[in-house]
Amino acid sequence: MKKRMALLMTGVLAVASLAGCGGSKTSATTAAPETTKETQTTAAAKQDGGKLTMSWWGNQVRNERTQAALDLYAEKNPGITIEGQFSEWSDYWNKLATSAAGQSIPDIVQMDYMYIDQYVKNDLLVDLKPYIDDKTLDVSNITENTMATGTVEGGVYAICAGINSPAMMYNKTLLDQNGITVKDYLTIDEFEELCRQIYKKTGYKTSIVYGTAQTYLDYFMRAYDVVLFGDKKMGGTKESYIPFFEMYTRGLKEGWLIDPGVFAEISVGSVEQDPMVYGSSPDTMSWCAFANSNQLTAIQKAAPEGVTVGMTTWPSPDPKKSGYLKSSQFFSIGAHTKNAEEAVKVLNFLVNSSDANNILLGERGVPASSKIAEELSPKMDPINQEIIRYINEVITPNSSPINPPQPDGASEVFNLLNQVQEQLCYGAYDAATAAEEFYNGANKIMSQK
Amino acid sequence: MNWGRVGSAPFFEIFSLRTEGTYLNHRKRESFRQFMNKESTAGFVFSLPFTIGFFVFMVVPMGLSLFYSFCDYNILAPPVFVGAKNYIKMFTDDVIFLKTIGVTFYFALVSVPLRLVFALMVALILYKTTRITGFYRAAYYLPSIIGGSVAVAILWKRMFATDGVVNQLLRLSGVNSSFPWLGNVNTAIWTLIILAVWQFGSSMLIFLSSLKQIPVTLYEAARVDGAGKVSQFFRITLPLLTPTIFFNLVMQMINGFLAFTQCFIITQGKPLNSTLFYTVYMYQQSFEFYNTGYGAALAWVMLAIIGFITMILFATKRFWVYTGGV
Amino acid sequence: MKTKKRMGDIVYHILVCGFGLIMVYPLIWMIMSSFKETSTIFTTAGQLIPKKFVLTNYATGWRGFAKTGFVVFFRNSFFIAVVATLGTVFSSAFVAYGLARCKFFGRKFLFVAMLLSMMLPAQVLMIPQYLWFQKLGWVGSYRPLIIPYYFAIQGFFIYLMINFIDGIPRELDEAAKIDGCSYYSIFARIMLPLITPAMITASIFSFMWRWDDFLSALLYVNESAKYPVSLALKLFSDPGSSSDYGAMFAMATLSILPAVIIFICLQKYLVEGISTSGLKG
Repeated sequence: MKKRMALLMTGVLAVASLAGCGGSKTSATTAAPETTKETQTTAAAKQDGGKLTMSWWGNQVRNERTQAALDLYAEKNPGITIEGQFSEWSDYWNKLATSAAGQSIPDIVQMDYMYIDQYVKNDLLVDLKPYIDDKTLDVSNITENTMATGTVEGGVYAICAGINSPAMMYNKTLLDQNGITVKDYLTIDEFEELCRQIYKKTGYKTSIVYGTAQTYLDYFMRAYDVVLFGDKKMGGTKESYIPFFEMYTRGLKEGWLIDPGVFAEISVGSVEQDPMVYGSSPDTMSWCAFANSNQLTAIQKAAPEGVTVGMTTWPSPDPKKSGYLKSSQFFSIGAHTKNAEEAVKVLNFLVNSSDANNILLGERGVPASSKIAEELSPKMDPINQEIIRYINEVITPNSSPINPPQPDGASEVFNLLNQVQEQLCYGAYDAATAAEEFYNGANKIMSQK
Repeated sequence: MNWGRVGSAPFFEIFSLRTEGTYLNHRKRESFRQFMNKESTAGFVFSLPFTIGFFVFMVVPMGLSLFYSFCDYNILAPPVFVGAKNYIKMFTDDVIFLKTIGVTFYFALVSVPLRLVFALMVALILYKTTRITGFYRAAYYLPSIIGGSVAVAILWKRMFATDGVVNQLLRLSGVNSSFPWLGNVNTAIWTLIILAVWQFGSSMLIFLSSLKQIPVTLYEAARVDGAGKVSQFFRITLPLLTPTIFFNLVMQMINGFLAFTQCFIITQGKPLNSTLFYTVYMYQQSFEFYNTGYGAALAWVMLAIIGFITMILFATKRFWVYTGGV
Repeated sequence: MKTKKRMGDIVYHILVCGFGLIMVYPLIWMIMSSFKETSTIFTTAGQLIPKKFVLTNYATGWRGFAKTGFVVFFRNSFFIAVVATLGTVFSSAFVAYGLARCKFFGRKFLFVAMLLSMMLPAQVLMIPQYLWFQKLGWVGSYRPLIIPYYFAIQGFFIYLMINFIDGIPRELDEAAKIDGCSYYSIFARIMLPLITPAMITASIFSFMWRWDDFLSALLYVNESAKYPVSLALKLFSDPGSSSDYGAMFAMATLSILPAVIIFICLQKYLVEGISTSGLKG
């Protein structure tokens, strides 16, 4: 078929050039066979059994370090080559979904908690349990809580690539100058009092997960023992969601909540444009940002010169109940792999090998293996040491296992949540209406799944 | 000039070699040549690449997507046929769908005419070739080259920010403005319209290259008749440009309704879905909510809408498009 | 009289220049930002001129990703854009001539098919196209990015050239036919030279579109060493952690250069095309 196509193509081109009364010449004719030749070699190489692929999203540093670690593995295991495929976050998921449709997802994939449930339910990831049992994959140094983050319905489908936890970043310099201190485990009342005080003293406002409310709502509701998603319905009652939205209405009334118009002028979700580090006046800026512990490095880097970033827990009606450890991302094995055994070995190498982690240097978060984390700790910079301290001392003693991963339909529910939040902040809804719109709408979405 | 016939010979020799071997009597060859040079055969041969390309590269994917539009499909699992469910849901149970239709019509119907008028004006201004107009043309075309890059997204938000360039300019001219252009439901769409108009380069290029097709002799004749610049424009340039205007109109209408990048990189539909383009909504459904079947249905409804509008445009063609040849 | 014309010229240039400056302002902003320290790009977004000119962004950017330098990405993009553009321009001209000048069975159908193929959003065809190219065994290669263009699948270009050919007097064809020229030689010897401006316009567009296209590269190219520039540029950003906007702007600045150079070189042919010779009266 391929050959015939190529022939046909050259044929058409030949006609095109010959038709030119013998005079016209198209350079295209010569270019075409070249393409075919070059691309055929790629196809041939792909059939090679010793060739694995691993895909991930990330930045320049991650791309370089991960590929270097993979190359090290290939060096130690002659006959094996591992090709790294990296993309930008949203591109990554488009590509992965498309290749899933084509039954050809890479051997090793970086996974996120947001997507894991759907990939597992559609049989796209390999259950790692057998490999753990036969010791191909060593998880002896990983805590049960951490392993639980990659467990779906009894099967282990993902290994934590870096531990992190929700963390609120704040402008420590600003608060120090005004004699305000922030303690860990803030309750909502304490948090709001703080917001009021800071607004009065400095004019800086507060930004509360505008446009990205999903994770915080989940965290918030844990304090009331409400799990966001039930079986084809939402957890709790519509009344249980009112306190969350009331926080916004109070903030709007008292003036300390940042104006929603500000978020139309930035890219929501981009660290560099978070109102905490980006803005021209206190009026459009926030003293804090809801983030994850592993983002401390990025936020500190993005902060204006002279600003030190502090880190504490997210406020919650009951912070110790809300707190949990999670994985910044996972490593999983794609179900279409031809060499699962080898892929698992690579995974084991990335998780447990000191050599590999000396290259990776905890770029994805605190290493899952406590042994590796201990080894790496002295080599890390002060910011990463602070992250390890936060995870070990602030969160670990006061946390419970994370909620089950989000089911199919969750992303639509979250979109609805952010739309309701937008209506609320623009003053179209009050807290009760927002809770009702969200609860009913979300239930409808879930019931159709 | 001498339109020689020598050139056509090798072409037929290819065919004669293939079909009948090296020896052919003169008559047979002549009849084959006549067959190949029949208008209908020639048309068939010339359009063959597209015919193949259309059936091989377009029909299959288009057919598949039409099939998906009748399915529950989430990319990760195989599609399940559900009949017209997606279409019914769209028209009975989806407020956002109606909202995006409104936004998209507004955007297309405002930005397309503006863009064309700008493109035509600039093409006329830069038509005269001097050494410097080349650089001017490049300058006016540049915005279309940078297209949908991240830099444009960031800058556009900066420009229309509350403390951005636009408000600063307004303040300079005496209006005390700190208007949140991007945060207001009525003005946010206009920032996207301005972006679309700003990138008028491609229509401008097409106008430039067709202006050349207008024979200089016509202008000379008009000048002899004593027609001024303005009357030359209305009597010669404009009528002879109508086919190109029509072409640009059709293409830009299609592009306008399928606009994606402006919204996707800058507003993402904010605020309150007031800038949510149809295609972006379709993209969200397909790749963010994994309602890919529904996304496909949305696409086919858009195809019907654009198809209908294009049909209307073609129906009006004979009333205003000059077809007399030069 | 003469001074009046001089004045008019000056006003013309001032207006065109001034407006042109507004047009290219974003570009200047991007170039200037690429010389800023990456941490100050956002904090000083309001200022055009960097406080301190640095070249580090170009150095980090050029280094590329995981041992593949940006020079490789540029080479890949050139290959794809040039080869696909040649295909699309010539095949479209070929098809356009047939549709514009010959009456034959199926002509109307093809014309409608061409228009219809432009009306489906590219995003919705992503998955079906991927599945189809996978059936053909083309995934993981440049084939899906190049071969279809040799079959004139971009209706826009066909229609553009049809429109152009319609503007060429039929008398030329008729005269040639009487001289015994076949349709094929008319196309090669008369049409091709006459539609040069349209072909140049198409080349400019096609090169630029192929250069910017990242969606198909994302889906069909797997090896990072085969990424084109458009795809590589996006790798500088990672919303979850930090993005290197400095390096991104530096490479984005370089990446628009080819299109700009091609445009500046080709633009004069748009209006001064070879057509002048054959087309008067």
